[in-house]
Amino acid sequence: MNKLWSVAFLTFKEGLKHRILYCVFIVALLAMTLSVLISGFFMRDISKIILDFCLATISIGGLLVPFFLGITLLAGDIDKRTVVTILSRDISRPQYILGKYIGISLLTGMIMAFFFAATIIAIQGGILLYGEHYFKSYSLLAVFSSTLLNYFGISILNAVVVLWCSITTTSFLATLLTLATYLVGHLMDDVVRFIESPPPGILISMPLQKTVQATQYIFPNLAAFDHKLSAAHGIPIPFIQFSVLTSYAGVYIVAVLSLSIVLFTRRDLC
Amino acid sequence: MQGFFYVPMIKIKHLVFDNVKKTYTADLGKKKTALTGLTLSVLEGEVFGIVGPNGAGKSTALKILTGFIRPSQGKVTICGHSPQISSSLKKVGYLPENPCLYEHLTLQDHLSFAGQLAGYSKEKTRERSNNLLELVQLDKSGNQSIRRFSKGMTQRAALAYALFHEPEILILDEPMSGLDPVGRKLVIDIINNYNQQGNTVLFCSHILTDVERICDRIGIMHQGQLACVLKGEELGGANELESIFLKTVSMGVQ
Repeated sequence: MNKLWSVAFLTFKEGLKHRILYCVFIVALLAMTLSVLISGFFMRDISKIILDFCLATISIGGLLVPFFLGITLLAGDIDKRTVVTILSRDISRPQYILGKYIGISLLTGMIMAFFFAATIIAIQGGILLYGEHYFKSYSLLAVFSSTLLNYFGISILNAVVVLWCSITTTSFLATLLTLATYLVGHLMDDVVRFIESPPPGILISMPLQKTVQATQYIFPNLAAFDHKLSAAHGIPIPFIQFSVLTSYAGVYIVAVLSLSIVLFTRRDLC
Repeated sequence: MQGFFYVPMIKIKHLVFDNVKKTYTADLGKKKTALTGLTLSVLEGEVFGIVGPNGAGKSTALKILTGFIRPSQGKVTICGHSPQISSSLKKVGYLPENPCLYEHLTLQDHLSFAGQLAGYSKEKTRERSNNLLELVQLDKSGNQSIRRFSKGMTQRAALAYALFHEPEILILDEPMSGLDPVGRKLVIDIINNYNQQGNTVLFCSHILTDVERICDRIGIMHQGQLACVLKGEELGGANELESIFLKTVSMGVQ
């Protein structure tokens, strides 16, 4: 356990020293500051505009972690053979995979916690600038639960990054596969809905229906973790829905990481 | 002699390759054989050097020994245990051919990590780090990012990392590559000192004079197997290893 945390801490420390992290911070802070100023142009929806902006920034900022930092920290380890530094010690491959995942998740968590704090500050700035009566629909709980679910969605994507990096030999391929998973994960809900109730006159073949239905169980349903809209309107996510999504994320992450461990353990490195 | 009876000193086999074969699947599904049946034992407390032409399978053998790749056939053990079991690497320090440390971290960060893994206290980690930094002559560069290091400095930094947990067995893949004569002498002195403490060293190198100087036994590898093993003391004159090496390589494995 101690070794696992040592790997996680090393990954976290390495991630902190990447310049991209600071670019993400600066761009996000600029966007959040601008949101307060821009919202003044939409006098009826100030609270909604600020929250829309800030939650989208949290979402995009968080998303940059798996795509840039996650892949750099994991696939780069295999590409540049820095993996030897860790695995030449008495660290098992499962400990390495889990340690890396925890390190990347800690980085994601830190970034999202920072953005969440910035969102609250932006809202307070908006209240000071425009007055409290424009923020009647604002709900801290809704913003918090939406951010937390967003974090769970990105944690799933982090696990997917770990899986693709365990199989592929280049970071480019891992990035492409992660991007494909992200797109499928976001669009699958709509495709399934379309397949299940197609517009009149359109016939969908049975094999296609079955394939799409099977695919939705393989790929993560990332769209389910997107609750920005309800948070912007101050509608908290029902507790049962929150619990189901949290459990889904937990089960999916465990399954993907287990598969990654099996594949990575069998792989020849270097 | 111990008392009346003569007790012969039996040296334990620390590292064993038993008819190890390794076949890779190269591009377009072509099979490439790196090791064709390597059998070799390294005894406790000896310095064993492996020499061989490019593509002889030296690095592959060391990677199998450290568990990074699996043999297609045969058995490899470290002190009787498979290198695939991570705990068997507790006694091993490994320096790869092209050491790759984390560019954004400092050498001190790497040594602290090594200390955590070895279960050392913070105080012991600090003390050991200072000693090692002094040993590899990087005491002024401990807090610099690895990306600012030259190749020779990286090589020495990786050696310090490999030695951190005081391993009983040191496995070095081309430890002298990228080093200037001063650096080479430093590494040779470290290997000699380390061996004098009763530890085992297995290393491969292209620099035959260095191998000749520090090894108890030398194995010449060719075409994925051990062509011959020489004792260091048997090699008398200058460049004798080189002439045997050239002869072995030109004759092939017999």
